[in-house]
Amino acid sequence: MKNLSENTFSVPFGPQHPALKEPENFMFTVDGERVVDVKIRLGYVHRGGEKAFEARTYTQGLYLVERICGICAMAHQLCYVNNVEALIDIEIPRRADYIRTIIAELERIHSHLLWVGVAGHEVGWDTLFMYAWRDREVVLDLMELTTGNRVLHASNTIGGVRRDLTSEMISRIRKGMKLLKERTNYYKAMIPKERTLMKRAVGVGVLKPQDAVALCAVGPTLRASGIKRDVRRDDPYSAYDETPFDVITYDGCDVASRVLVRVDEILESIKILNYALEHLPSGPIAVRLPRGVPAGENVSMVEAPRGEDIHYLKSNGTDKPERYKVRAPTLANWPAVGAMIKGGYIADIPIVLAAIDPCMSCTDRMTFTEVNSAKSWQWSRDELRRYSLKWRGK
Amino acid sequence: MAWEVGLLALLSTLIYPGIIFLVVIALFYQWVDRRFYAKLQNRYGPIYTGPRGILQPVADLIKLLAKEDIEPSAVDKQIFRAVPVLILTMPLTALFMIPITGTWALASFEGDLIFIIFLMTLIAILAFLGGWSSTNIFSTLGGMRAALQALGYEVPMAVSFMGPAILAGSLSVSKIVQWQASHGLWAILLNPLGFGIVIVAFLAELERIPFDIPEAETEIVAGWQTEFSGRKLALIRLALDLELVLASGLVTALFLGGPTGPIPIIPGIAWFMIKTLVLVLIFSNLRALFARFRIDQMVSGSWKYLVPLSILQIVMLELLLGWLSF
Amino acid sequence: MAMQNELVKSLAKKPATLLYPFEKYDSIPGSRGKVVIDITKCIGCGLCIRDCPAFALEMVGKGPTCDMKWYITRCVFCGQCVETCPRSAIIQETTYDLAGAEKAALVIEYKRPKSS
Repeated sequence: MKNLSENTFSVPFGPQHPALKEPENFMFTVDGERVVDVKIRLGYVHRGGEKAFEARTYTQGLYLVERICGICAMAHQLCYVNNVEALIDIEIPRRADYIRTIIAELERIHSHLLWVGVAGHEVGWDTLFMYAWRDREVVLDLMELTTGNRVLHASNTIGGVRRDLTSEMISRIRKGMKLLKERTNYYKAMIPKERTLMKRAVGVGVLKPQDAVALCAVGPTLRASGIKRDVRRDDPYSAYDETPFDVITYDGCDVASRVLVRVDEILESIKILNYALEHLPSGPIAVRLPRGVPAGENVSMVEAPRGEDIHYLKSNGTDKPERYKVRAPTLANWPAVGAMIKGGYIADIPIVLAAIDPCMSCTDRMTFTEVNSAKSWQWSRDELRRYSLKWRGK
Repeated sequence: MAWEVGLLALLSTLIYPGIIFLVVIALFYQWVDRRFYAKLQNRYGPIYTGPRGILQPVADLIKLLAKEDIEPSAVDKQIFRAVPVLILTMPLTALFMIPITGTWALASFEGDLIFIIFLMTLIAILAFLGGWSSTNIFSTLGGMRAALQALGYEVPMAVSFMGPAILAGSLSVSKIVQWQASHGLWAILLNPLGFGIVIVAFLAELERIPFDIPEAETEIVAGWQTEFSGRKLALIRLALDLELVLASGLVTALFLGGPTGPIPIIPGIAWFMIKTLVLVLIFSNLRALFARFRIDQMVSGSWKYLVPLSILQIVMLELLLGWLSF
Repeated sequence: MAMQNELVKSLAKKPATLLYPFEKYDSIPGSRGKVVIDITKCIGCGLCIRDCPAFALEMVGKGPTCDMKWYITRCVFCGQCVETCPRSAIIQETTYDLAGAEKAALVIEYKRPKSS
């Protein structure tokens, strides 16, 4: 405890804290129960992932990229294969595109249901947590059925997907979706009716639309501030150009809106899934490719469950990437979190933090975020070296 | 024969219905609470130790008692060591004044209801002291919240306790039970509102969802209990279980006629167990239903709704009594 | 109070959780579990080792006479080796409970039968 002035003191939050499932440090300056300021320190789970890509072949990279995040594994892998396929300049079979869409939407459902449960847990409502996670099992079982793994599906390969959907799988998915639709509709009706939950969510962690844009928020966080932005619609990949769906927005700008956006997105995902299963084209699921990727660079974007995920790939023509760069959605949301938390209560910290569905291990890389001015920047290796020399010279 | 009376008093204080009996039912109710809460959430709950996991609370207690007791160097040693012991004695002392086997409690005197209220306030103050002496930031916040929360629930709870007391014309818990037994009328029938308020206030006293604010796990780790470990934590946990018995026992005595019932063959202790078990199930069910309030919402809500309603209950009761006697 | 009905319904239902060590769930067909190498089919080309992202496979010896080792602790169960193997010597079973208390038991050796 350090006294900053007479009335304020700072409360550390993490790196080890029950509300955080992953280690990050937040220093809150609080006045009584109110938060005056927050400093975010990232980097506790920096794993050197981007460097590791440079030491692995493209095939090995397929599985490394999934390990950026256990929950949006499919989104990251999709981003990766989109990059590599763009460099090789091949068209993958349409059936593969559809299967990718199906797996990606299953993942979105699993991620959002998980999040609804976590949101309940953060405000002390463990019952919601238990029920949401019980229903999430349905998706996980479907994942295991279709890809072989419950999380970290390893379903994509460069040039297509690794497993075909059999008609038995399709009927199982349909059955699962029917059940989930019923459950999601139940949550959608029940959550706004539960007044203790709404008391903790309405008007909490407000992020005004102009702030959301200025602070580069992404995904459901942005859409809960009423801004219609979704990579799936704005820059379609896989089969999203053919599947009809609505981009869900709510204009409450608070935690309650973020809950409702996610619940509605589950319903949209079920819609997409049903359409994709209906219109699944026949044909091969992958094309054989020569090993090695031509020199060049490419950027691809994917709408992960948490928001826009950007990957950059630079190839020098060998069988290993020269540079791989990942901008995970959580990173883009950190500046917005600073704006949401300031002026709120200590008790609201967990739910506001959780409301962006943070994924720390996705995020930890060399990025500097200054929350006070909501400015974030990144340094190249040279800049970093220069900084370290300057710092040592001091 | 004086020594035999003395021995009997000693045995009843120590064993039945004294300390050992109370500890046993406290641990049993913890199991009931955990099982029922789990069942509501579509899970199993404790199942491994003993038949249907009934020995799990005992195993937990023994485990905690045997574990290393870590005392951070920055804590205020005297208070830090005294708090777990004192907090255990409070509900035990209060339970001596609640009739368990018959219409008489182990210790009973005019005004013991006030004394019980005082002891329950002390529990909140001890929680505050425990948090404060830990000098941990989470403990301090938790302790402050415990004290603040006490400001919210104490007044409506105490006012609602007055309902049965007015009926019986006495501030002794035993006499209130006797009044209900002799009139064949449970105080809840005339004090339905007061009963509800007391249940809500006890949820706060017991630090249960939606009022588990002083130990909100996701916000301040374990609140005022954060720094306690080993034996100290075991005593605190036991004290919280005893508090559950105290809460259900007190509500039973004040509103539900205590350990008496319409069928005279069934002994008092069975009535006590049945009624308190129903109350424990109500507490568990409420715990599964809600999200946690914020401390400001809790305190202001309590003063905005609970206090006026509890006063309204007393006014209504007085009017009713006036009309009846008229 | 919005969830009370659901809670009451749960009282009559069987718990959704499993009593895991006593009660195991049937593994789903196609689930990626234990990696099994049919060493008699293996020609020792080493392609699986080149593609394995987790360095979970090891070749003891060289060429067609090699033995294989599979490290459970390193494996990420992606199944790339299964796809890479040109002779289909590697298959993946659905066995999922592979954890053990002893480290030595977490390395599975696939030895060639002694040829007479």
